[in-house]
Amino acid sequence: MENPGINFEEIYRVYWNKVFRICLGYANDTDWAKDIAQDVFITIWKQLPGFRNEAAIGTWIFRIATNNCLRQIERHARMPKTELPEQIPAEPATDIEWQSKFLYKCIAGLPETDRIIISLELEDVKQAEIARITGLSESNVRVRIYRIKEKLTLKFKQYEQQH
Amino acid sequence: MSNSIDFKALWNREETSAPDVGEIFARANKLNRNSRRKIMVCNILLILTIVFYGLMWWHFHPQMITTKIGWTLMIGAMVMYVISNYQLYPLLVKADMETDSHAFLSQMIRIKYKQESIDNLIIKIYFLLLAVGLGFYYIEYLKKGKLILQITVYGITLALLALNWFYLQERKTKKQHKAMNEIISKLEAVNAQLNE
Repeated sequence: MENPGINFEEIYRVYWNKVFRICLGYANDTDWAKDIAQDVFITIWKQLPGFRNEAAIGTWIFRIATNNCLRQIERHARMPKTELPEQIPAEPATDIEWQSKFLYKCIAGLPETDRIIISLELEDVKQAEIARITGLSESNVRVRIYRIKEKLTLKFKQYEQQH
Repeated sequence: MSNSIDFKALWNREETSAPDVGEIFARANKLNRNSRRKIMVCNILLILTIVFYGLMWWHFHPQMITTKIGWTLMIGAMVMYVISNYQLYPLLVKADMETDSHAFLSQMIRIKYKQESIDNLIIKIYFLLLAVGLGFYYIEYLKKGKLILQITVYGITLALLALNWFYLQERKTKKQHKAMNEIISKLEAVNAQLNE
């Protein structure tokens, strides 16, 4: 049932962490993100024989990943708040670990589609490809990424001033 | 902190070891087993319904055409309910996961509306077939009875159907409608984010 030249296990090895991070950016909950990521790979495994190389394999995988994230709207009532968090709880960690956790928390607090856009951007997905994944125009994607980064930077600055 | 926070470096710090690929296959197989089990339950219910129908027919030897029509309508209601719930319904509400986010959300909204109207239609047809079926079925057995018996039997049947339809079913529908509306509103709100 494998598509010639495309091996599921190779896809799984290369894309697991990318997909996991996108899910974590959406949910900000490790177990939940792992669950979504596993569902993503089940869909990929099932649909792979029908993949016709009309889109780049990465675009195809990220579409399935982002749609599985969006599907959580229906499946889970426990959605993250849509406002950016004011503060994060005190936990012992290095500064860089703090910042990483804080970044994920801030992203999970953004509106759903912004979470997806910034997650793809941080995964080094090209803006033209993000446009194809989300259905937005490329210029719209560019503007949104700029605005989201501004918001995140502001949040980091506020956090730094408070600590 | 400067404007040049390296978000990518912070983002890439989050990693988790990928579960063994066997776990993915096991999870997929479990899902397949569950859907096969649902289809099996559907088939068993259908077979039991048909067997029950045959036994009742054989036992009571209905003479009048109205009784036979009544039985057929009632069994038809059950068969339709089972088939639509276990086999037709999952096919009608299947989502395409390979499309872009905007199309996916629009599709999810359409599916939710469709799901709600199918639910309503199935339950209406089910009750209609059941009520008409019962009405026909009683004719043969009540025709020799007194008027008071006829009125009582039809009255109780109608009252039970009305209780189910106007109270129990109405309550269930309202609850489902509220839950479905919440999902639809959320999906529409998220889809609107892409139009901003």
